[in-house]
Amino acid sequence: MKAFEYSAPSTLEDALKLLSGPDAVALSGGTDLVNRMKDYVTSPARVVYLKDVKPLAGISGDARSGLTLGAGTRLSDIVASAAIRESYPALWQATAEVGSPQIRNMATLGGNLLQRPRCWYYRAGHGLLAMKDGKSLVREGDNRFHAIFMTEGNALFVAPSSLASALAALGSRVTIAGPQGERTILIEDLYQVPRSESDSELALRPGEIVTKVNLPAAAGKSASYEARHKEAQDWPIVLAAVNLTLNGETVSSARIYLAGVAPIPWKCTAAEKAIAGKQLTLQIADEVGEAATSGAAPLSMNAYKVPLVKTTVKRALLAAIGNRYWEA
Amino acid sequence: MASWPRNPRLIGTRIPRLDGMAKATGKAKYPSDILPAKMLFGAILASPHAHAKIQSIDVKAAESIPGVKAVYVQAKAGSTLRFQGDFIAAAAATSEELARDAVRAIKIEYEILPHVVTEEQAMAPGAPAIVRGGNVRPGRAVIRGIPDSKLAEIEKIVTALPRNQQETRRKQEVEKVFDELFARSDAVVEATYSVPVITHVCLEPHGLTARWDGPDKLTVWASTQAVQVVANELAGEFEIPSANVTVLTDYMGGGFGSKFGADVWGVVAARLARQANAPVRLFLDRSLEHLAAGNRPSATGKVKIGASKDGRVTGLLAETHGTGGTGGAGFPFPYVYDIPVSSRSHSDVFVNGGAQRAMRAPGHPQACAIMEAALDDLADKLGMDPLELRLKNLDPNDFHTPIYKGEIAMAAELIGWREKRKPRGMNGTGPIRHGMGMAMHQWGGGGTQDKKVSCTISPDGTVELKSATQDIGTGARTIMAIIAAEILGLKPTDIVSNIGNSTFPPGQPSGGSTTTPSMSPPTYDAATRARDALFKHLAKVLNVKPEQLSVKDGSVLVEGQASLFWKDACRKLGTASIAETGGFQEGLASVGVGDCQFAEVRVDTETGKVKLLKLVAIQDSGLILDKLTWESQVYGGVIGGINYGLFEERIMDPITGVMLNADMEQYRLAGAADIPEIIVRAYEPDEQKARGVIGVGEPPTISTAAAIGNAVANALGVRVPHWPMSPRNVLMALSAAKKEGRA
Ligand SMILES: Cc1cc2nc3c(=O)[nH]c(=O)nc-3n(C[C@H](O)[C@H](O)[C@H](O)COP(=O)(O)OP(=O)(O)OC[C@H]3O[C@@H](n4cnc5c(N)ncnc54)[C@H](O)[C@@H]3O)c2cc1C
Repeated sequence: MKAFEYSAPSTLEDALKLLSGPDAVALSGGTDLVNRMKDYVTSPARVVYLKDVKPLAGISGDARSGLTLGAGTRLSDIVASAAIRESYPALWQATAEVGSPQIRNMATLGGNLLQRPRCWYYRAGHGLLAMKDGKSLVREGDNRFHAIFMTEGNALFVAPSSLASALAALGSRVTIAGPQGERTILIEDLYQVPRSESDSELALRPGEIVTKVNLPAAAGKSASYEARHKEAQDWPIVLAAVNLTLNGETVSSARIYLAGVAPIPWKCTAAEKAIAGKQLTLQIADEVGEAATSGAAPLSMNAYKVPLVKTTVKRALLAAIGNRYWEA
Repeated sequence: MASWPRNPRLIGTRIPRLDGMAKATGKAKYPSDILPAKMLFGAILASPHAHAKIQSIDVKAAESIPGVKAVYVQAKAGSTLRFQGDFIAAAAATSEELARDAVRAIKIEYEILPHVVTEEQAMAPGAPAIVRGGNVRPGRAVIRGIPDSKLAEIEKIVTALPRNQQETRRKQEVEKVFDELFARSDAVVEATYSVPVITHVCLEPHGLTARWDGPDKLTVWASTQAVQVVANELAGEFEIPSANVTVLTDYMGGGFGSKFGADVWGVVAARLARQANAPVRLFLDRSLEHLAAGNRPSATGKVKIGASKDGRVTGLLAETHGTGGTGGAGFPFPYVYDIPVSSRSHSDVFVNGGAQRAMRAPGHPQACAIMEAALDDLADKLGMDPLELRLKNLDPNDFHTPIYKGEIAMAAELIGWREKRKPRGMNGTGPIRHGMGMAMHQWGGGGTQDKKVSCTISPDGTVELKSATQDIGTGARTIMAIIAAEILGLKPTDIVSNIGNSTFPPGQPSGGSTTTPSMSPPTYDAATRARDALFKHLAKVLNVKPEQLSVKDGSVLVEGQASLFWKDACRKLGTASIAETGGFQEGLASVGVGDCQFAEVRVDTETGKVKLLKLVAIQDSGLILDKLTWESQVYGGVIGGINYGLFEERIMDPITGVMLNADMEQYRLAGAADIPEIIVRAYEPDEQKARGVIGVGEPPTISTAAAIGNAVANALGVRVPHWPMSPRNVLMALSAAKKEGRA
């Protein structure tokens, strides 16, 4: 990796000051950034370690009024939180299945939300859109792990964060601090589709850092379900997270988000519509899963992800009400 | 003829590795752990392109970085690079980071040449030829069982034609024979099966640390399967006597056939060390491990196989191909079974990928996957239990057939084949299906006859064995100690088993499952000679006849009565040690194994995920010297086979020509959570023990992937024709079957 300047500030002010320089990046658990640096995908001039920045640490609040998770919260702390396990199962499950224990022990919430795509063309140095001689490497090449939604554009990587989709389903907000002060946005607004190679898939402005994530008071029933290849140390191929607002046995409304299928956490509007006002049965879950696939336009090698969208949505819905038929 | 002790004390029991504790605690120093004083770190510059010519290369900037002590260019201007990872240059510096900076600072102008990196690309009409003679090298059909008169008839027709039409016509005529044969068969299966290229993924990378101890004296610490081969190659390269090269491999972090030579990086490490006048450590990084350190070739088989109602195979017509990158891709076919009539033609396909190297049972896993899938599909078509079909097609003249039968009976019992297995299509209609499958394999595993072991008994009672073989994790060190301890009446921990040094008496390279069968006879012989020499000496001192002496439990006995403790007996040697060298002894080792594995799976049809529930591996190996290390080999082989069956696949990018998953994230390997219950059993009735020692490193990895594939087909009622059994391949097979109305 390229040599860089390193600092480990202990206050938010210092951190922001250090990050305001050109070519400065924040370092949290390092499980993503350090690999990119070793591969020369990212070669910052300055690295600012956030671990000692106090306001970024810890979980506070409760499920009744809402939880606040500092950006520096380790994924293993999320997994260890009884409140999250009981009241925000969509987040708990998505976090518990990330990578491996080693990764969860190092990785942080902020880093997870802001990790860069795993697209193998991006990681080989071809850029986010991976265009070469006017052609998309992804579209023409090996796209088995790429997007199946929004594929009319050139951003064909998939948003990598499992937690982002779970948090979006739960209606979370993220607080960002920067040279211009603080702002709070919906978590889904943290992500955008880059239109050119100079765009980012993250809606952070230069010098900004994520400080915390707010989960609203726990309401309804949530779950996430991921389809993956290996048990040990692997990524979801597709992950679905749902949060259901129930009126008796009837689902009055639902938020359904997917990871692994689009360049942003993918909101399944069609599925959300299909479930509204229905009683959740195996049959209905199946139909809603099917609805979730509408609009899918797979690339040359990833049509197999379409049935995975159906399955993960169906299973997340049923898991939310305690039906885990596939384990029987 | 020599024979092993009839009632051994140690042989065949469960004895922990002598170096197990050192390995588990980190005390053991592997070659890549050795950092001699003043050592420099090396880094490699390898081709970033699949196919390119170096137009110019400039190392000035690299050499001028402070701390960079030497730069060596292997591929000069004008050289052609044939794959991503092809070796270009290396640098040595005072830190690893500086060495990497140095190779990045080497300026190269490339002329990019057209590439082919997948078989599809290589075989496409109009594909750029990347080797002279074309990307596809077809072999002539190997035909068995067609009467000579018929073949002569075909040749007559063929030779009457112009040369350029002959091969096509020959093929057509042979196919006609099979058409007739299959028309008379009760069931015929026609299908295409494939396994991908996989890489070795040794945990310890390839490489060595080189130190010059004088102008013509070299010491290297190499991660190798053959210390003496590395020594000879380095001696040849530097034109120094091979006795002046010492290659040391005390421990080894995994070698599956790819670590037999010094390799270009090994030679370059020694060159850099000479240039810099300091020891140089040069090991590959993970990505180069995938790219340049060998791989197991892919295989695709287009197979047509027929059988009569009673389950007897009538014939097999196969066209196969595979790629070993810039190397060949052969494999044995038909495999294991007695096929009365067969024709097989094979083509090697060349691509811009790293060359294949031997990988645990080279050729066999591919052969097994294709053969066993075809046979299983045939059983399904006949409506027959695939186990019965296999029993019907074993060669009655093969001495191994009764062994196969015994093993199949054991495995079927252990997995509950009769109770739990249902025919295809009968494993439920729900999303989760249960399945069982089996497969069979064969291997040689015999030893060589030219290896030597020395055994020294010192006056202080120390017993030391020496040989220039190495323990690549198979337990060679422990096994040699067990044999000597057995003969000398001692404990294995009393023996110093000194191996992994090229200057010792000639030892076996660890490949082909030959180490144990090669090294155990000379160890037996050396220990026996040393014991007899000791007896001869003691007989004089004790005034008895040597025949009256024996050893037991750390004592020397006279006429069966304990007389002297071992140490006291040895003290009677005075100042002279006993040093004996042993060699091959007829009757102690043998060759030829054949076995089966059974798999039980649960397949989720909605996610395509295959969950392994149980794997049963039955393995014959003649006389087993240490049950524990033997079992470790079988477990390791099966786990390798699980990776091949479920996870591994080298993914090449047709556009940029590079490997897309040259890491350990996208190149998937099982973790502990992916490993099912594995039941390992030795097939070892007394007549097996009487065969003597046979190697076991390779065979147990052969049939695992095939058995898993068959279990998946059994669960789904649909064949997943391409390995690995990944969600993608499973879902694609299900979706194809649905489209064609098969599921
Ligand atoms: C084998 C494997 C499997 C994995 N599986 C999964 C999975 O299933 N699901 C999943 O979601 N992830 C998975 N991951 C990714 C892993 O979760 C991320 O690497 C990790 O969460 C990143 O967190 P970190 O703290 O280590 O981030 P870092 O590497 O420290 O940072 C990541 C990025 O975020 C930026 N950053 C970090 N914190 C802040 C902040 N507070 N403000 C502004 N910018 C910041 C950094 O500058 C950097 O660009 C896997 C990784 C591996 C290697």
